Amino acid sequence: MPERRFALEIRQRTSWQQQGAILAAAVLTGVLISTAILALAGVSPADLLKEFVVQTFFDKQNLQAVLFQAAPMIMIGLAASLAFRVRFWNLGLEGQMIWGAIGATAISIFQVGPETTRLPLMFMAAAAAGLAWVALPAALKLRLGVNEIISTLMLNYLASNFLLHLVYGAWKDTRTAFPHSPQFRAFERLPEFAPGFSVAILLGTAIALAVWWLTDVSRGGLYMRFIHANPRVAEAVGVPVRRMLLAAVLVSGALAGIAGFVVAAGQEGRLTQGFFQGYGFSGILIAFLARNNPLAAAAVAVLVAALFVTGRSLQVFYQVPFSMVQLIQAIIVICAAGSEFFIRHRVRRIAPA
Amino acid sequence: MRAALELAGIRKSFDGFVALDGAAFCAEWGEMHALLGENGAGKSSLMNIAAGLYAPEAGSIRVGGQTARLAGPRDAAALGIGMVHQHFKLVQPFTVAQNILLCNPLSRDAGGFGAKLKRIEGEIRVRAAELGFEIDPLQQVHRLSIAEQQRVEILKVLLAGARILILDEPTAVLTDSEAERLLQTVRRLAQGGAAVILVTHKMADVRAYADRVTVMRAGRTVRTLDPKQTSTDELVKLIVGDAVTPPQRRARLPGEVQLRIRGLQLGILCGIDLEVRAGEIYGLAGVGGNGQPELAEAIMGLAAPSAGEIHLEANGSIAAIPADRYGIALAGALSVAENFAIGEAASGRYGSVWRLRQSSIGATAQAAIGAFNVQGVRSVWQKAALLSGGNAQKLVLAREFSKRPRFVLAHSPSRGLDVRASAEVHERLLAARDDGAAVLLISEDLDEVLSLADRVGVMSRGRIVAELAQPADRQAIGRAMVDHA
Repeated sequence: MPERRFALEIRQRTSWQQQGAILAAAVLTGVLISTAILALAGVSPADLLKEFVVQTFFDKQNLQAVLFQAAPMIMIGLAASLAFRVRFWNLGLEGQMIWGAIGATAISIFQVGPETTRLPLMFMAAAAAGLAWVALPAALKLRLGVNEIISTLMLNYLASNFLLHLVYGAWKDTRTAFPHSPQFRAFERLPEFAPGFSVAILLGTAIALAVWWLTDVSRGGLYMRFIHANPRVAEAVGVPVRRMLLAAVLVSGALAGIAGFVVAAGQEGRLTQGFFQGYGFSGILIAFLARNNPLAAAAVAVLVAALFVTGRSLQVFYQVPFSMVQLIQAIIVICAAGSEFFIRHRVRRIAPA
Repeated sequence: MRAALELAGIRKSFDGFVALDGAAFCAEWGEMHALLGENGAGKSSLMNIAAGLYAPEAGSIRVGGQTARLAGPRDAAALGIGMVHQHFKLVQPFTVAQNILLCNPLSRDAGGFGAKLKRIEGEIRVRAAELGFEIDPLQQVHRLSIAEQQRVEILKVLLAGARILILDEPTAVLTDSEAERLLQTVRRLAQGGAAVILVTHKMADVRAYADRVTVMRAGRTVRTLDPKQTSTDELVKLIVGDAVTPPQRRARLPGEVQLRIRGLQLGILCGIDLEVRAGEIYGLAGVGGNGQPELAEAIMGLAAPSAGEIHLEANGSIAAIPADRYGIALAGALSVAENFAIGEAASGRYGSVWRLRQSSIGATAQAAIGAFNVQGVRSVWQKAALLSGGNAQKLVLAREFSKRPRFVLAHSPSRGLDVRASAEVHERLLAARDDGAAVLLISEDLDEVLSLADRVGVMSRGRIVAELAQPADRQAIGRAMVDHA
């Protein structure tokens, strides 16, 4: 019989410092593997260090690019985290995002309200439209037990086809005849708070703090933890499970709608036909890596955005193929996800008996 | 040379908590050996080591006189050690034969999957007949009763060739007659030369069936002795370290009706009429599976009755102690403090809707676990799942009773608890009654009902078939249970 020298144990407690250290070690491992792969592809590690660390975070222009990318990702990551906290698998983030952008654009096209309140109105319309789009699957789940994974996912197709219907039809830009809406007016676009830095990132930070307050400080946060831990226990100990679930899911939809607003009014400056692509997956990924913690989700969103921006410059300046950029992103994500195992388990050496 | 299984100097810790230290145990061929101790004494941990599920940090294992190294349950099975766990390890949608085949991969020359399944079906029929089990190998496991599932578990380990049979709390889920039948069956196995190890905290089973008993306390094996030569008091003393006094009860006149149920129908329940008054304990006895969980869930508002009504006078201040501790009462993944605070979070006791004060929750939970003697709590922010059964139940009591309830629903409140924890639970129920609460005690443990209840009802086939005043005649209750079954 083979002699056993190591035992795998479930950790009973893991402090957040331990969790952070394990996650950092995992990401570092991923970076080292990626470095090796890139070195084989002809990018020297020294260049890589310069490109990734120095350029991404210390070069002003790159930092702007990262934060520009990060703002909607923070929003979509928060939307996913909040829904997952009540075990509602909201896979319709993209559909809600589309409706958010449509809601905001409608305010612009129909010129609702005076110039000064236009942007806040667009914000509110986006939140309301995203909320409305998730209300249907939420109601179906609560009333009839319809699986939300299917209903939210299918509604994405409905939303994206309706978006095409608008940008190819009634809302098509008559000046360029391209399939997108007319450009928003200057006061309908998110301003910059400093040269090159959009207020979108401030909005993202503020909303992350608000969601953190909701999940970690308020009474509803305790309720959500019980619903996540065990819905039956939650019901038995008097948590208003249905109301809480509905509230969390509606806010999740509203946040996704706001993400659509941030892309339309903060990045594109108009309603385009493919702005939402990939956000649904990113949102789920961010929530997963952040373990549904709102503040962690904001930080992870910035990291994902940094990977995205670095990947782009690797492509441009080092002629690394896009598939390799995707490979590297995947390696880092897998390493981060794998750290979960070491957060939950410990490997311990056993002295031979 | 007669030793079947010898464990010596076993040490095992879980994340710093020492569960076993210097534990020694020896079972011989042909004997029924009981392992007795409180919850958390380390009985299950020690046996999990013998079954190859846990690796000990120190100590030696000898099987049939040979030093053994168990890298996993397969190694243990190869040496003829089989364990029937307290929580069955069966794949519910599979048939009996599929479950057993899963654990007994026949050799390659037995043919394809279909042929193997046929062969194992035959073996099951033969072995079941020998043991007097009525088991259809083609039945799906989830359609079987708990007692039948347990027989499948026993068949599973026996067909795997087990000669050392470990049963972990086998009678906890069985009725008196089922338990008797089971213990007689395994006793015959021991007489046939096998070694049977019975992990239990039921003194009566030990005294009636075991040849020898090893007592465990706090991770150590205290002593091995002959149960027939030892008095119950002596055994209890070895288990708990000191004697437990039975609860005192005061005479009390019942007051207003607090719970009134009329014509309740739900699932198996067909017309339950029931009244519980302030200041009394109404004990509902009966064999499991006669509608007790349905009744409890209807009262707790977890299931909507199809007919009839439930009227609770004490709207809001109801304390519920459900039977399924981690299924309904506690969220194991959340902290002790959170599990405590959820009881009164809605009242605003810990702060407004917008802000729960963590410090207030922590301090209140700390005080309550002190008052209710919940042990094993190193920090109120540790996971509730780390508590042993008795302490988890005391945490439930702490939460529910801090609401000062006027109605208490207790469903099998001492199931799986040791002598001392049961006594504490019983004291709390009596104290609630003395404070004027109405208590509905639903229990399959007749001794519990008889020692606590002011009135006794008997439940059978979804009805209350008899109601008796105390002192109730044990025989009469037993007859009521059986006559209507």
